[in-house]
Parts: sequence; structure tokens; C-alpha cells
Amino acid sequence: MGVTQRLAGLASGILIAAPLAFASPVRAQDQSQKPVPEANTPPTAPNNTAPSTPPTNAASPKTQNDTEKQSTDISSLIKDDNQWPMAAKNYANTRFSHLNQINKDNVGQLRMAWSFSLGTPRGQEAAPLAVNGTLYVVGPYAGVHPNQVFALDIATGDLKWSYAPKPDPAAQGVACCDVVTRGLAYDKGKIFLNTLDDFSVAIDANTGKELWHTKLGDINKGETITMAPVVVKGKVLVGCSGGEMGVRGWLAAVDEETGKIVWRAYSTGPDAEVLIGKDYHGPYDWLNGKDLGVKTWPPDKWKIGGGTVWGWISYDPDLNLIYYGTSNPGTWNHEQRPGDNLFSSTIFARNPDTGMAKWAYQPDPHDLWDYDEINEAIVADLTIDNQVRKVLIHPGRDGFMYVIDRATGKVISADAYDYVNSIKSVDLNTGRPVLDEALTPSLGKTVRNVCPASPGAKDWQPSAWSPETKLLYVPHQHLCMNFKTSNVGYIEGTPYVGADVDMFAGPGGYRGEFMAWDPVQRKKVWSIKEKYPVWSGALVTAGDVAFYGTMDRWFKAVDAKSGKELWKFRTGSGIIGQPVTFSGSDGTQYVAIISGVGGWSGAIAVAELDARVRNGALGFTGAMQDLPAVTVGGATLNVFALPKNQQKAASAE
Amino acid sequence: MRFGKPTIVTLAAGLLMLTFSAQIFAEDKPNAETNNPEAPPPTSSSDAGMSTISPEQLLKVPVSGLTPGAVDARPKLNLPPIDEKAAQRGMENFASFNCVGCHMGNGGGGMGPALSNHAFIYGSSPENIFLSIYQGRPNGMPAWGTVLPEDAIWDLVAYIKNLSNAPVSQWGSTVSSTSPAIEQVPVEIKAGANPWQYTQKFSKGQKPQE
Repeated sequence: MGVTQRLAGLASGILIAAPLAFASPVRAQDQSQKPVPEANTPPTAPNNTAPSTPPTNAASPKTQNDTEKQSTDISSLIKDDNQWPMAAKNYANTRFSHLNQINKDNVGQLRMAWSFSLGTPRGQEAAPLAVNGTLYVVGPYAGVHPNQVFALDIATGDLKWSYAPKPDPAAQGVACCDVVTRGLAYDKGKIFLNTLDDFSVAIDANTGKELWHTKLGDINKGETITMAPVVVKGKVLVGCSGGEMGVRGWLAAVDEETGKIVWRAYSTGPDAEVLIGKDYHGPYDWLNGKDLGVKTWPPDKWKIGGGTVWGWISYDPDLNLIYYGTSNPGTWNHEQRPGDNLFSSTIFARNPDTGMAKWAYQPDPHDLWDYDEINEAIVADLTIDNQVRKVLIHPGRDGFMYVIDRATGKVISADAYDYVNSIKSVDLNTGRPVLDEALTPSLGKTVRNVCPASPGAKDWQPSAWSPETKLLYVPHQHLCMNFKTSNVGYIEGTPYVGADVDMFAGPGGYRGEFMAWDPVQRKKVWSIKEKYPVWSGALVTAGDVAFYGTMDRWFKAVDAKSGKELWKFRTGSGIIGQPVTFSGSDGTQYVAIISGVGGWSGAIAVAELDARVRNGALGFTGAMQDLPAVTVGGATLNVFALPKNQQKAASAE
Repeated sequence: MRFGKPTIVTLAAGLLMLTFSAQIFAEDKPNAETNNPEAPPPTSSSDAGMSTISPEQLLKVPVSGLTPGAVDARPKLNLPPIDEKAAQRGMENFASFNCVGCHMGNGGGGMGPALSNHAFIYGSSPENIFLSIYQGRPNGMPAWGTVLPEDAIWDLVAYIKNLSNAPVSQWGSTVSSTSPAIEQVPVEIKAGANPWQYTQKFSKGQKPQE
């Protein structure tokens, strides 16, 4: 078919879509979620008040020995709980710290130690990094100096240096969901920064001087970078965003010394470019075959098929495998891309030395709803049916909690952890979801009340895993949506979406939840319902405290075993960042979070959007239209510690 | 070059003729016969009887609200009709050229700013909006004059005028637990070229009324 004929066909498709054909209202299907015991929402404690019980259960934290030579190697730093050297704390992505100077008995005494303004009014999703007494933070694309990096003395809050890259402002026009960054990486005296306009930069961690910069992508293709890089064996691993722009997703490995690209693994296309070779074994039959990244698409659509890499990378040194997920396929109109659309919405296991794939598992074949599977895959060893299993715990965007054998990619269990009607169950024999076919979108028809909505039951916001309580602490949202597809033509560097979306609160009227999940018992242990999506990350410590933030400006500490609220602090702006904990050279345990609302969910409060037009922000406006009544943008690094006398009491126990 | 009554098909064909290196409609391989790299950029030379706006005239349209010496420098231009027919065509263009992907359904804003209010930082006059589309703007607005015929851009201007036609109750805007009081009927329930005609009670993040 000639070009003009195709365009004519496309155009008539668009014209035909004009009269609205309403789908019959869709009822919520039989809920596949099992009933789970849930604690009632604990009573709210007054701001900043202490529980009456005296500090107990306080062991002395490992304190830094200044005379000892400080390690700068990431593989050593991740074992030292005085440090928080990567966004996810360690290669297993647990976000768990053994520090317990701050614990459930004294956390109520937590006070702000110092704060720092980043000068940026957009969404603050980044984790601070704490390395050898210095805290490193980075802002989003906003303010006078977009993507600026700051190094601060942990004990005093003094600014040691800052570094401002020169990203192209046009990058803002191809970043789908606010202009965020999720953080920095550190190794061997270097800080690694990614800019929104696709540069990877190495900075001397002591001086702030630039060491190298490498251009990894092209904003004119719709590529941006928002993820926090991860350094494994001397390689800075970083992928691109742009699943809404017809980008062909990739993960690149950059040599940390030279800035040279060592390998790049695409998510779609021929095996040679997806880096699938003889070591690859798909966990199910349908994931084995030649060039599936081409054959599961209509001709050439894999070139604009999404599968971007913008979430978390975990690593198992014993198996020498890295794990990460890929984004939704493009477009959101599934009828324009028949097939499984491999390897979008997929979890990959790869050899970090070569990039070669070991296995790939696609939780959402032929995704209908923008269910990226970039969420974290936490490395844990669980005793299941009296066997120790090496697993990944992956809270899926599709609302299912996947426990996966990390050597093979086979699913051990998959259970809904929020209200889900788009997927009835996951067939453990095939690994494929059982969909509610009645909800399948067709061109121009409005499908109503699909749960979870496009951001899923959980988006990028990372959960925390405590090896002590053996519970996963999951911040997530609770949203449903109306969804109407349209045909979209691909124009390079512009969106490739093809859907009108309108999100709203899920059943019960609340929009977020912070929960503790037992991956062995496969059930929710307790939960705290929140008015808005819980878009912050989670932190859990050996002090039996879990931390998270809310979009309505509360930073909260809760009992890791019961969910009881122990402390909360009112921040300047809503929280969508990642809480971290570490020690300063003064032997004090600190907890830090950057407040500053934004992100996809919070864009309505910081970007030039209209709360009265529900379909804005890819439909997220509908669910967040009252957020500007409780917060506006503005980034502050908040650093908390116990008063000195409380620290001594905790250490004396 | 001008089109009498642009349709999506002719616009799309025009778009291809005016395409240089940009990869557009990637499902179609670049084709030397239809994708002429020598094709000239769009010009503003106009046919008799149509609007006559030269590049020189458009250059005189200020973007700033400051005019030194208090001189009213705004030229009086003979604009193409900005009416409901143009707005209807503009709505179709808004979808087919992916304006909707950034500015979203009914112009509520996303990657690009909302068009559904009266706020235009590069000017709200039709000429200002035309130039913002034609030239692009540095914070992420692509320069569409490189690929779109001018008529198509004027039709977009007409549609944006409708989109921005929000009811006004006061000079500034108040946000509180009771304000705003209304929202548009969302596009998946009611689609049209004049979305502010249909409003309902503000839903505060809950399911929209049916």
C-alpha cells in the first residue's frame, strides 16, 4: 500500500472516530483479590509528639571509624549501613538499613537536623546518596540550573560544591510525566548524573569537577533519561524514557572511567540488538524463538514500540545477573500493534559484563492499559514450601505481586494486592495473565471503570523489604479509569499515545495506600489508606520503623510490624521522593527525604495544567484535580535526627 | 502554497511533501519518490482572495507586553476566518498531528501547557498563537512551521480559541476546598470542538458524573 493511501486510511479512521459510540457500562468483575486481614487505619498521632514509652531495643549502630581508610567501592559501600550509596541502598534493592539508633520507641522524638532548598519547583523523585560523610542530591529539570547536583556535609549541612549541567530546555517537551530525575549513582570517588536531555555525566565526588560526559540518546526521537543509574562492575547502567513517544527502549552500559558505551541492549527488534544469544532461555515456550522482538509486532512497529527502561535495576552477584523491567508498548491503542509486543512490559535478566540476556518474562503481553513493568525486582531468598528459593519480588504495575525464580524467570506466585478487574488471575502454567475480555478496548469506544488505571496499582515508587520482619513495604495507588482509544500516526519526536484517559479514585473513594505484604503467605498484613496516591518510596530499618511520605505534605514513620503511626512531620510541599537513612561522621543516625510534589501524579500542582479538564496529564488530572488545594511545588531536602540526649539513651541500651 | 479547504488527507499529503529528514509515519519507509528532500519549506505567499499575511507583517507582532516609548506596534492583519468550521478542522488536526499527545484531550495540558484557560505566556492573540505553533518555543514546543501548511496552523488557532474559552468569574483564580466549582464533561463522555459548552460539578478526583 502506498504512503498516501495509508495516510488516507489513517485519516478516515480519525474522521470516523468522531461520533461517540458508548460502550455499555462495564461492571467491576469478580474480584480476584483474596480477602485479606487488614488492620484498621491507626489513629493519627499529633504532629511531632513522642510515644510515652521510653527508648528500648536500641543497639549501638555501627559508627564510622575516621582513622579507618574509607572505602569508595560501591560493592563495599552497600554493605556498610552508615552509607546510603545507591538509590535503592544495595544491589538487592531492599531499602533496608540495620541502623537502629532511631527505632520504634524513640522515633517520636525525631527532629529536623537541617534542611536545604534545591531551588526547583518540579517533582522531586530522587533519592539522596550518603557516602563517607557527604550527602549528594540532584534536582529535576527545573529552576535556573536544571538537573543541578549538590554535595552537602552530613553533620553540618554545609554546601561543599554544586554542579550544573546544561541540558536543552526542549527536553521538557518530550518528557511524558513531569521532568523528574530519580537520582544519582556513586562509585570510586565519582558521582554519576543523567540529564533529562540524555547525557550521562561523571563528576569528581570530592571537588564537583566534571570528569566526562557522554550523549546517550536524542530528544528529537523522544528519548529522555529519568532513572537513577546503577553501577555494576565498573559500568554505569542507564536506560531511556519515552514510552509515550514511540521510542525504541534500551539499556546502556557506560564505562565508569571513560564514559564510553560498552554495550546497549534494545528491548525490541532482532535478537542481535536485544542481546539474546545462546545463553538465553525463556521461562515459558512463548518466550522462546528467534527474533521475537520483531515477530510479535506488525511489520516495523518494533522500531517505535516503546519498552523503555526508566525504573530500577537490581543485581545478584552470585548469579551475575542484573534485573530490570521495560515500559509499556507504544501506542496505547493496542489495535495498532497486534501481537505480544515483546519485549515491552517485560522483566529482563542479563549478564552485566556483556549485556546478554539470560531470561525474559513478560507479565503483560500485548499490554492494553499502559502497564509498564519497570517496577523494582527485589532480590530475596524466601522459604517457600520448606525450600529456600532465590526469588525476585516484583510488585507489578498490573496490580499483581509477582514472586519469580530469579535463576529461571518462572513465576512462583502472583496475587492481586489491590483491587484489579482488568486481569482476573495469572496462569502459573503459562505465566500469562487471564484478562477480562469484556474490557478490551476497541477504537473510539469508551471503556469504563478499568482497575487499576494506567499508572497501575503501583508505579515507579519503590517498596522496601525487611529481612527481619520478612515483609515488603509497598507504597502504591488505588485508581480506576475510563479509557478511549484513537488512531495515532507516528511523528518522530512527538507523542505516540492514541488514547483519552480519565482516572479517578478506586472503590472506597481513597486514592493511595501504604501496605505491608507477606510474599510467602501471599497476603496483606496491614495497610494505611491515604487520600492521595502514595507516590513516595519506602524505607524500613532494623529499628522496626518504616518511613514514607504523602502528597499532602506528611513524612510519616510507622511501626513496621503493625503499621501504627509513630511520628509525622509536615513538609513544605508534597512528598514523592525516596526516604533514606545513614550515619554522619558524628555517629548520628539521620533520616532524609526530599519533599517537592510533582511527578505524573503531582504534575497538576506544579505544571501549567487545568484541574477542570480531567483528561490532562494522560488522564491523571482526573484523579488529582483537588491536589492544588493542599500543596504546590518547591523542593527541600529534609534531614532528621534524634536530639543528642536521645541518641545517647539509645546507644546506652 | 495554500489549500482551499484542507482536509486531513490533503493535510497529511502536504505534510509529507514538506518533510525533510524528520521520520514521520515510520511505518512507511522513507521513499525517494514521495519524500522529496528538495521540497521548499512552507511559505506565506498567498493566493488572491485569501488572507494576505507576509512574514514581514508577522515579524512585527510583539511577543512582549513591553513596548518602549509606549508605541502601539501591533499591526492590523487580515487574518483567515477564525470560525466554527475552522475550529472543527482544527480539532481534527489537533489529533492527527499529535498536538493532543502533549496538550491532551480538550487541551487540559500534559507534556505541554494547558490550552484550556486564558494563560498564554507567548501571547494570546491569534497571531501570537500562530507564531508559537509555527516557530516552536524553547521549552519543548516543536517548530511546526517546518512541516505544517499555514492554513492548518490557522485552523489550530481557531480550535485553541475555543479550547481556551473557559468561563471567567473573577480576574484571578482561587483554589480551595470549594473552588473551582466546575469541570468540563470529560472528552471520553462528550467530544466536540467547543468543550467549555459542557460543564459539571467539580469531582475532586472521584469518578466523573455520567
